[in-house]
Amino acid sequence: MSKTFQTPLRRARSRGSAHEGAGHFWAQRLTAVLSIVLTLFLVVLAIALAGRDHAAARALVANPFIATGIAATAVVFVWHMMIGMQVIIEDYVHGPLVKAGLLMANVLFSGLVLFLTLAALGKIAFGA
Amino acid sequence: MVQFTLPKNSKVRTGKTWPKPEGATRIKEFRIYRFDPETGENPRLDTYFVDLDDCGPMVLHGLLKIKDEVDSTLAFRRSCREGICGSCAMNIAGENALACITAMEDIKGPVTVYPLPHMQVVKDLVPDLTLLYAQHRLIEPWLKTDTPAPDREWRQSKDDRKKLDGLYECILCFCCATSCPSYWWNAERYLGPAVLLQAYRWIADSRDEAVDERLDELEDPFRLYRCHTIMNCVRVCPKGLNPAKAIAAIKEDLALRRF
Amino acid sequence: MAGSSKTIEGAGPVTPFETAGRAYHINEHEYDVVIIGAGGAGLRAVVGCAEAGLKTACLTKVFPTRSHTVAAQGGIAASLGNMGPDHWRWHMYDTVKGSDWLGDQDAIEYLVREAPRAVIELEHWGTPFSRTEEGRIYQRPFGGMTTEFGEGPPAQRTCAAADRTGHAMLHTLYGQALRHGAEFFIEYFALDLIMDDEGACRGVTALCMEDGSIHRFRAHAVILATGGYNRVYFSCTSAHICTGDGNAMVMRAGLPVQDMEFVQFHPTGIYGAGMLITEGVRGEGGYLTNAFGERFMERYAPHAKDLASRDVVSRAMTIEIREGRGVGKNKDHIYLHLDHLGADVIAERLPGIAESAKIFAGVDVTREPIPVLPTAHYNMGGIPTNYHGEVINPKDGDPDAVAPGLFAAGEAACASVHGANRLGSNSLTDIVVFGRAAAQRAAATITPGAAHKPLAKDAGLEGLERLDALRFADGGTPVSQLRLAMQKAMQHYCSVFRTGESLNEGVEKIREVWKGLDDVRINDRSLIWNTDLVEALELSNLLMNAAATIHSAAERTESRGAHAREDYPERDDANWMKHTLAWADFEGRKTRLDYRPVHTFTLTDEAEYIEPKKRVY
Repeated sequence: MSKTFQTPLRRARSRGSAHEGAGHFWAQRLTAVLSIVLTLFLVVLAIALAGRDHAAARALVANPFIATGIAATAVVFVWHMMIGMQVIIEDYVHGPLVKAGLLMANVLFSGLVLFLTLAALGKIAFGA
Repeated sequence: MVQFTLPKNSKVRTGKTWPKPEGATRIKEFRIYRFDPETGENPRLDTYFVDLDDCGPMVLHGLLKIKDEVDSTLAFRRSCREGICGSCAMNIAGENALACITAMEDIKGPVTVYPLPHMQVVKDLVPDLTLLYAQHRLIEPWLKTDTPAPDREWRQSKDDRKKLDGLYECILCFCCATSCPSYWWNAERYLGPAVLLQAYRWIADSRDEAVDERLDELEDPFRLYRCHTIMNCVRVCPKGLNPAKAIAAIKEDLALRRF
Repeated sequence: MAGSSKTIEGAGPVTPFETAGRAYHINEHEYDVVIIGAGGAGLRAVVGCAEAGLKTACLTKVFPTRSHTVAAQGGIAASLGNMGPDHWRWHMYDTVKGSDWLGDQDAIEYLVREAPRAVIELEHWGTPFSRTEEGRIYQRPFGGMTTEFGEGPPAQRTCAAADRTGHAMLHTLYGQALRHGAEFFIEYFALDLIMDDEGACRGVTALCMEDGSIHRFRAHAVILATGGYNRVYFSCTSAHICTGDGNAMVMRAGLPVQDMEFVQFHPTGIYGAGMLITEGVRGEGGYLTNAFGERFMERYAPHAKDLASRDVVSRAMTIEIREGRGVGKNKDHIYLHLDHLGADVIAERLPGIAESAKIFAGVDVTREPIPVLPTAHYNMGGIPTNYHGEVINPKDGDPDAVAPGLFAAGEAACASVHGANRLGSNSLTDIVVFGRAAAQRAAATITPGAAHKPLAKDAGLEGLERLDALRFADGGTPVSQLRLAMQKAMQHYCSVFRTGESLNEGVEKIREVWKGLDDVRINDRSLIWNTDLVEALELSNLLMNAAATIHSAAERTESRGAHAREDYPERDDANWMKHTLAWADFEGRKTRLDYRPVHTFTLTDEAEYIEPKKRVY
């Protein structure tokens, strides 16, 4: 470690508080609780789908209520995953460039997952 | 990236084995981390032997026995020897503790003694705690009021006073902070359990009129939200305090003020 | 900023110095005031000086919250009257009586009148005092604290934060010092005072433990708040750091210390381990019993019983043990009961001692008594001061002449408010009242930023020869061996009860150990965190204190307060109503005594001088 002449208080205060984090904290809890409910929904859906043939399954998924439920599940799961991954990156990755890159990649990846999920669902719900 | 292995110059070598006390029947083996920055050598683990029948019961007694009668160059901090000053915090048998209230007999096998983990070591068992002290300074550990002070004391109900129990007793030994992986990875930005416990001690004080400011300063992804409830702090606190609970209370306050 | 000095190395000018052929570089600093010690008295002085706009530095050998104030349990005495009628005059009477009339009544009046303000100030700064139903500060009874000039029931005067009052106060004071931006030099060991030819103090030298560098601080005033020296005893309630460094610095500067023979033995140190069990236990209703389960204090102090003054209780316990009524296998200790108080009261008011008794005596206090023994606890004696905290150096027939630029406060000082015996909970009052008094006096006499008078190039550096000699000491005796010999001698020859014969033997014994310092051996030759060296410096300080103590005790042929002579069992006001002064000749390893009168007057005419009378509880 190279020598620093900064005072300890300068080190401790550094860039100061971001005055942010409670939203993130709340979002984690909110998505966690919603995930429990939506997981139950997925379980019920999986049971309902069991034994149906392809057409019947598609028809069920295309039901507006079911499709909305699946869309909500995708949004909540991806959101929860994204902010969870963000915390892990912040914890362990310290180089500013790598960190920024990974945080962006996290958003892009999450966005991509969500987009593909919704697109597939849309295809079933609105498709011919 | 976080470094998961020790750098080359921090690898601990085997050190000297000191002679056993003569005529002793109940002997406790100590393996103590030694580091002398002036030699430029790597740290080493020296082995000592203490006669339990000729020594007080605590690890600090053992260390003092070694320093007094075997090797006076061993350096460690100590003061009150009764668990209230927080000087002799160190890593004993793999767990952060105060040497003065940790009984030797409770430790199975040899007593390994290292300095508090993940700190710069000044010498032997003496870590550099400067950053932690500065972080404690950062939370402004004093009562803030704007209402003109009364001639007598500020009134405080017994119930309000009770809210400080479990908070004000902290002795700043930093056993908790230095056992927290989150603090290890982000010491420069995360305040750690001891400092956050102290921060909450002032938030919880019914007399303090700056709770808003205090919460503002704490609301930060790193200063506060690096706590991932790993709970090592609760496990090691020699005073039986619960920093994790205090941190949860701060998070709750921050959430509640949004609704 | 705490610890800021650690990273700003070599900020000031450096002076080269050579001793024994070895080169030292002296780091120079200039301040208005330098305070040595960061316990309650030191921190209160730091806050006072910083508030007054003085450029203030605080040197301390341990981080402030590790100071021994942190271990104070029971509380801080002040006549707030929250729990019943009280008056500062009653507090004054109790303190004078407690002191066995050796206290200076002007200083005592100052102490008790300032006490309520000092406690309220602490509360306003955030000290978490326990509370009454009305939301006021909780006050408990304590030994020797009475109402109606000793005629009424026990006073509830001792303000408490459970049984962690010292901890609560010290952390509060540290916070205030931070708030005022005081500059700390942490883990700096003070070496010697810098005195000029006129006997004025001009600064201090210190060793930085982190890197072994030597520092010279010039200051218009130095405030010594270095605490007591009970580590001269084998068994004491005090921390390892209580080594009387300030007292020794004063003695090396050619100034006297005062009333060193008065060492308080606390009745309730844990048997074997020595940790303190607060008098607050007895304040809350705890009591002592002997082998027959008898509450023997009723015989010794029919009125106050277990809440008699500490010296009285310690002597009673010692007599019980001596006469074969001690408890335990060897009948060598006494039981302290609090099991009848109930788990709730214990959890609310005495949680800390419940924990200590469990750890160090293996006792569950809700069910079993604690084994206790009188244990060396407090030094009434120390650096003589007036009630402003100014250090007294009798000169030209003036017994109250002050040494300019030098202050002392707290246990290191002898104001003298505790006289021959301190009342429990008066010491926490003492530290904040006189820490503040010293700061106020410094602020009143110093202009912030005033230029420093020129100083001889090598001023204050003679002490480095002592340091250098110790650093390379190559004799045959380890520091620990000498220390143990001193502690055993003090414990044996200068304990609760004393006789002329054993004291004189002790004087010789201590002198022998002191001379043994010439043959001391240090094994650690390093600069960084050399505790071997620091312990040697501390031992050298302890020995001066021990010598002054036992010599003063041998000469005082009376019994007064904590000084109980079996060969002179009565107080002798005609010959001994006077303070002992002790000077030390460090090179010659001997001490010299003289005396100065006790102040038999009060501070204002609002209090009358309290005439000596027989002291019964």
